[in-house]
Amino acid sequence: MLRRVVVTGVGLVTPLGVGKDVFTRQLFGGFSGIRPITLFDTTRFDAKLGAQIRDFTPQDFIRPATLRRMDRLSQMATAGARMALDDAAFQIGPHNRDRVGVVLGTCFGGTDVAAQFGKVLFTDSPRRANPILVPNVVMNAPAGHAAIELGVRGVNTTVNHREVSAETAMAYAAAEIMRGRADVILAGGGDIISEFYFNVLTHFRTLSPQKGGMEELRPFDAQRNGTIVGEGAGIVCLESLESAEARGAIPYCEIAGWGLSAAPAGPNDWPTDPIGPSLAMTRALAAAHIDSGEIDYVSAAANGGRRSDRIEAEALGGVFSSPGRQPRVSAIKGSLGEGFSSGGIRAAAMALSIQNRTLAPTLGLSQPLAPLNFVLNAETQVAIRYGLLNGVSSGGTFAAVIMKKIG
Amino acid sequence: MEQNRVVVTGLGTVNAIARSVPEFSSALQAGRCGIGPVTVFDTAEFRTHNGGEVQQFAPREMIPRPYSLKRMSRADCMAMAATVEALNDAGLFAAPDKLRGEMGVVIGGGAGGMLECEAVYRDYLLGTGRGLAYSRFASFCCASSADQIASQLRIRGPKTTFMTACSSGATAIGYARDLIQTNMAPVVICGGTEPLCRITYAAFNALQAVDPEHCKPFDKNRQGLSLGEGSGVMILEALSHARQRGARIYGEILGYGVSCDAHHMTAPDPEGAGAALAMRRALEDAGVSTEAVDYINAHGTATPANDLMETKGIKAVFGRRAYQIPISSTKSMIGHTLGAAGAIEGVAAVLAIHHHFIPPTIHHQTPDPQCDLDFVTEGARASDINIVLSNSFAFGGNNTAVVFGKFADSGVTHA
Repeated sequence: MLRRVVVTGVGLVTPLGVGKDVFTRQLFGGFSGIRPITLFDTTRFDAKLGAQIRDFTPQDFIRPATLRRMDRLSQMATAGARMALDDAAFQIGPHNRDRVGVVLGTCFGGTDVAAQFGKVLFTDSPRRANPILVPNVVMNAPAGHAAIELGVRGVNTTVNHREVSAETAMAYAAAEIMRGRADVILAGGGDIISEFYFNVLTHFRTLSPQKGGMEELRPFDAQRNGTIVGEGAGIVCLESLESAEARGAIPYCEIAGWGLSAAPAGPNDWPTDPIGPSLAMTRALAAAHIDSGEIDYVSAAANGGRRSDRIEAEALGGVFSSPGRQPRVSAIKGSLGEGFSSGGIRAAAMALSIQNRTLAPTLGLSQPLAPLNFVLNAETQVAIRYGLLNGVSSGGTFAAVIMKKIG
Repeated sequence: MEQNRVVVTGLGTVNAIARSVPEFSSALQAGRCGIGPVTVFDTAEFRTHNGGEVQQFAPREMIPRPYSLKRMSRADCMAMAATVEALNDAGLFAAPDKLRGEMGVVIGGGAGGMLECEAVYRDYLLGTGRGLAYSRFASFCCASSADQIASQLRIRGPKTTFMTACSSGATAIGYARDLIQTNMAPVVICGGTEPLCRITYAAFNALQAVDPEHCKPFDKNRQGLSLGEGSGVMILEALSHARQRGARIYGEILGYGVSCDAHHMTAPDPEGAGAALAMRRALEDAGVSTEAVDYINAHGTATPANDLMETKGIKAVFGRRAYQIPISSTKSMIGHTLGAAGAIEGVAAVLAIHHHFIPPTIHHQTPDPQCDLDFVTEGARASDINIVLSNSFAFGGNNTAVVFGKFADSGVTHA
């Protein structure tokens, strides 16, 4: 018998602020986290903007002994995990610590540490490479650090599959709880902005401005010209419904199902047709045992990318084609930038939307490229029974997660 | 439950002692050592110089046209080569479009395309890049291997990549089984891939975790691991699907377990508590008793800390029975292939079941009174094996254990 999985907490370290209260005010208030980048000098780049995390004091969430061993991404993820656990009011003790896990997704990992380590290796000598940095060069460092800080010995896994890492991590975590292998899993993901990757993304023409336009992130817009980088970590506390009920916790929502798919694409490139994202969404609908007309709201992955936004819009138009039952659609990367492993932050935002009955706006969208039912300005008093979180990734990987209001 | 059984119908590997599964099987039985001087990059500046390198790797000979090698890293090519072998072995290389539409790909990664990107990165740091070969970054992410496999073979099922350092490959196998059991896919290509590269080599050297000669798992004088490279891939299939098409069945995936030490980022819990938890969970998931386990393919990296804690962990789980179970580290032959280790060792476990032998732990000369179990140090043994437990432990305290079983129609071999 498969168990039901619910979201009982959210943890957020984002460009819109830290913690769910400030995040909620900012996101649903229509504010943007995009500013000039200060992490490094952008003089030599066309792109100057990014959505950096702000007002983050890791000491507020992490003990000094663990904190001093952590890289920036691990700090963000661990603080997010702590916040999600506190938000869920879940107490960890010797009796339950083996049944609590951490499953995170990251696209690039702690690239700042890898760069620091590589710098000594390549400009000096491998013999002087710093052993202190080694633990944080590996992609699974954030999940490992979070487990040490929280003292939890349950399932611990890291998904490293480009922009759908966090969505896939949440699907994996939900499956582990469903099968009874864990009672609580802190799931989600994060990435950081780093100079080296800014170079690489510039080379691949991922970043706005392209073709001499303004530097803007315009999801699903006919005039979109590339994305703007973001960073941050978003963690949701996933819990078995029976565990939540036993301790009297009131969940935000339930994980009703998910779908994963692949579609042929060139290396690091996008498929030419919308079959991939359509398959992930239809598989998620089948897993949740609902039809497309029952989805009230879609949190899209669109980031201003010229090809990715188009195939996502085509897939949404194709899957949600029941007359009169088109879901509302917003793309919150207009506020957050492309955070790569953004699925955790977007899942937390979806949980808040369901609970607070509010829809976040799609900043930057003025001329929609397709006739979808877009949310242009924040809306309140909107009942969401089923919400769909969509994830798309270069290389042709797709993930959709359906979140459902309980009761 | 019949509909929940997941079987292995195809195998593929490239590693330091083999470029095919039949070669791997004979090399394991012969106890061949694949650890020698590293040639994929210049080791002059490093503290050590040996590793388990894949010799004379020629991807074009293993990956037929029209499949492209363009923008594929060494890690991608090794994964693709192992996948081609495994699919052929399973009789699924020319799978119909309908099956490709549902087939999944789950790969465990490590350094991914790092070997190729290191040169670009060095040029970038030194400011010597005339035309930086950024196109190489197309294959930088670990995800590139699964992407290449799925895209080139036109597969549309679930696809993902795990990166839990040295347990990635084992986790990929465990998750692939779950995807089949939950009806997300009837067939999944799963495994792991890992290239030798400077960053990894420098990292383990910086930690002083590398034996300058070759690793000596469970030996009293062990000094550390030998880094290796390679790929291991297996085709997992729902039993009903395998039966329907009359596939040859190598064995069955009976269960897997995951745990976290929550102790230290690079050092294992010295008492092996996290390792023991993963082993117990895998056995419980498989529904097999400690009495039923015939062979343990150990993590056995040959670092002083790992081998001691793993011995303790096995004793904690198996009690007196620990002394009766043959345990070996195939890393003694191919080195520690990190992200691929759990997958290559999974292939070894299935071969042990299928060909009735227990692979040896080579290079073991001086018994360690603290590691006093049966490490199969005298050479491979002929033995009828029904159940194998395969251990993988990693940085970050990420532990995974997988239980493989001989396939029996009744499904009661492991009662």
